[in-house]
Amino acid sequence: MEDYMSGSEEDYYSSDREDSLDGLENDESDSKFVQYKAPSCKVITKESLLSAQREDLRRVMELLSVREQHARTLLIHYRWDVEKLIAVYVEKGKACIFAGAGVTAVEIVNLDPPEASSTVTCNICMEDVSATGVTNMDCGHCFCNSCWTEHFIVKINEGQSKRIRCMAHKCNDICDEAIVRKLVSEKHPDLAEKFDRFLLESYIEDNKMVKWCPSIPHCGNAIRVENDEFCEVECLCGLQFCFSCLSETHSPCSCLMWELWTKKCRDESETVNWMTVHTKPCPKCHKPVEKNGGCNLVSCICGQAFCWLCGGATGRNHTWSNITNHSCGRYKEDSEKMAKRAKRDLYRYMHYHNRYKAHTDSFKQESRLRETVKEKVSNLEATDSKLRDFSWITNGLCRLFRSRRALSYSYPFAFYMFGDDFFKDEMTEKEREIKQHLFEDQQQQLESNVEKLSKFLEEPFDEYPEEQVMQIRMQVINLTVITDDLCKKMYECIENDLLGSLQFTIHNIAPYQSKGIERAAELAIGWSTQAGSIKKCQKADGQANGCIIESDVPSASGISDESEHSSRKRARKGSFESSLFDLNLPAKFN
Amino acid sequence: MVDFARVQKELQECNRDFEVSGIKVMPKSDANLAHLLGTIPGPLGTPYEGGSFKIDITLPDGYPFEPPKMQFATKVWHPNISSQSGAICLDILKDQWSPALTLKTALLSVQALLSAPEPDDPQDAVVAQQYLRDYPTFMGTARYWTEAFAMTSSLGVEDKVLKLVEMGFPEALVRSTLVSVDGDENMALEKLCSG
Ligand SMILES: [Zn+2]
Ligand SMILES: [Zn+2]
Ligand SMILES: [Zn+2]
Ligand SMILES: [Zn+2]
Ligand SMILES: [Zn+2]
Ligand SMILES: [Zn+2]
Ligand SMILES: [Zn+2]
Repeated sequence: MEDYMSGSEEDYYSSDREDSLDGLENDESDSKFVQYKAPSCKVITKESLLSAQREDLRRVMELLSVREQHARTLLIHYRWDVEKLIAVYVEKGKACIFAGAGVTAVEIVNLDPPEASSTVTCNICMEDVSATGVTNMDCGHCFCNSCWTEHFIVKINEGQSKRIRCMAHKCNDICDEAIVRKLVSEKHPDLAEKFDRFLLESYIEDNKMVKWCPSIPHCGNAIRVENDEFCEVECLCGLQFCFSCLSETHSPCSCLMWELWTKKCRDESETVNWMTVHTKPCPKCHKPVEKNGGCNLVSCICGQAFCWLCGGATGRNHTWSNITNHSCGRYKEDSEKMAKRAKRDLYRYMHYHNRYKAHTDSFKQESRLRETVKEKVSNLEATDSKLRDFSWITNGLCRLFRSRRALSYSYPFAFYMFGDDFFKDEMTEKEREIKQHLFEDQQQQLESNVEKLSKFLEEPFDEYPEEQVMQIRMQVINLTVITDDLCKKMYECIENDLLGSLQFTIHNIAPYQSKGIERAAELAIGWSTQAGSIKKCQKADGQANGCIIESDVPSASGISDESEHSSRKRARKGSFESSLFDLNLPAKFN
Repeated sequence: MVDFARVQKELQECNRDFEVSGIKVMPKSDANLAHLLGTIPGPLGTPYEGGSFKIDITLPDGYPFEPPKMQFATKVWHPNISSQSGAICLDILKDQWSPALTLKTALLSVQALLSAPEPDDPQDAVVAQQYLRDYPTFMGTARYWTEAFAMTSSLGVEDKVLKLVEMGFPEALVRSTLVSVDGDENMALEKLCSG
């Protein structure tokens, strides 16, 4: 059974979550439980950055038998993608990757150490310097120390610490970091520190799989994912975000859809559109006036009456279709068509936005349920009921949060999926209609079950007689399973039936996580002494990236295809519910 | 601070083999070694042949660890040189600069650029278009510009002074201007006109 967390990880969770809902944990779990997988993403704190980096360095040093600075140069060149480096190494050989990254494979051994009295001419400053005042780089190029130092200072200040090339023209070699450090610190200790920090942070900044947590103020952490950069994660600081675009989580919207959607929601142009469709300026005082009845005579609060069709001032006498002494000849069919189109687009947007908003609001409301449910559970526990297991309540609540979230983001997704922005040319009108029906069926089923689940959880069941509680329990357990299943189906529909059939899709959707958004685990420090386990792990699953976790923790793999409601018994319980409970609640609701 | 000791040495060495290379670097004023004027002969067998091209050189504080700034002072028709500003598109003057290069090697590279234009990486899009689509016209224009702007006439200094004074400029100003542009009457005229 590889699905259970190791002791140490569990300790971390239980200690960290103690505050949440201890009271909810029950001893007998005949209920459905949630299986746990070791998180596949890790938090890299200031303290663990060095060891995270060193682990990759060590792998390359061992594999290619090179010194640390060469391993670093190679890794920076390959953007810290060890797998890619290894692949190129296997395919093209050592010489090729060395040359590409600017590493000299053979170290030049200076057989005759220069005599202290002899002098050499430095080709940069064109001065004669004593042989002890010059430095040879690995490539064999030799210049005086003060020229090297100047060169390093200029490059570090230019922000090029990671790749300081040799001073010789057309020499592609990267300077030995130990020499850089030594020479620079003699003249500019603070700059040498900056150099080291750049090298260290390169691990985050040049690494596709590692990103700084976007929290403001910054928590100081970075997150590293293992396999898929299109995922949603939670940092130790509690912030949940989309790893790919660093904004709030938004699956099943793609990052691009989400960007456009938030912009659209922010844009006043929608409001402006609304104004042009629904209001006309008064010819007297120029205030916008809304039309609120069927007839075309409208009047402003200033008392002016005017014709809705042409905007011209009129008298007040009118019939349903006619204003006395007024006939407008300026009415244009064009403008009506335009208005109709704008109106249709606006209604379409409003349709999706209203539902999106409604679910987001419900989500906020329901996050308050957390407290009331806690209360209800303790009330129930205080009674003499036969019922001892209340995990169905917490499980149901978690499920509610997660499906509510998926549901609300499914509306902006649908807005773009079936709108004209992205896929107009990729689907015929007919295809689009079919797909839209397919999707809306899924969406509506999910919606109605989410509402049912919400309704049951809101009931004051702690005041009900036991039999009725039993009934609610059955309903909640059922709905918990059903909504999870429907979420999965909706995502399957998105991946397979909607996006999967399109040719040019740039829309990557963070997969549905039955267990909620993955909470990144703290990277273990001190792994570096276990060189043995690294190799073992490499062999075992071929996912060398997973090795940063202690070797007794299995690496996790993306989404689980097993149901969350597996019938397996969990090995150790206790911290599960508490760690699960608020998994899908963004920090601000906690 | 610019390494002036090195600049001095560079100037001496460069001007020593002027006879062979035809390349010259002079300080614009004795007081300031950071502003220099380079001269390169147009390469043989190109429309620039026979021309003498002046290049403004400014040395940044970090020289030679930062590249010198170079810009044509003489108007030139070339895909990698701006026909307006004289800006040069050349890698060794940007990220490919190495402190081991010198002003002379840099000017030699600029001269090589005159022989081998790279229209796919143009500085002047108009010129590059012409070079690619209508090569004969390009050759004609480049030649015309060389003759008009880069050929020092055979007139003696006094003749040049006379000519410019006849155009209405005060003699003292004409003389000092001619000295500042190394006797080039076209450049002197341009300078006088721009005030
Ligand atoms: Zn030196
Ligand atoms: Zn070198
Ligand atoms: Zn954070
Ligand atoms: Zn995103
Ligand atoms: Zn009014
Ligand atoms: Zn009326
Ligand atoms: Zn009217």
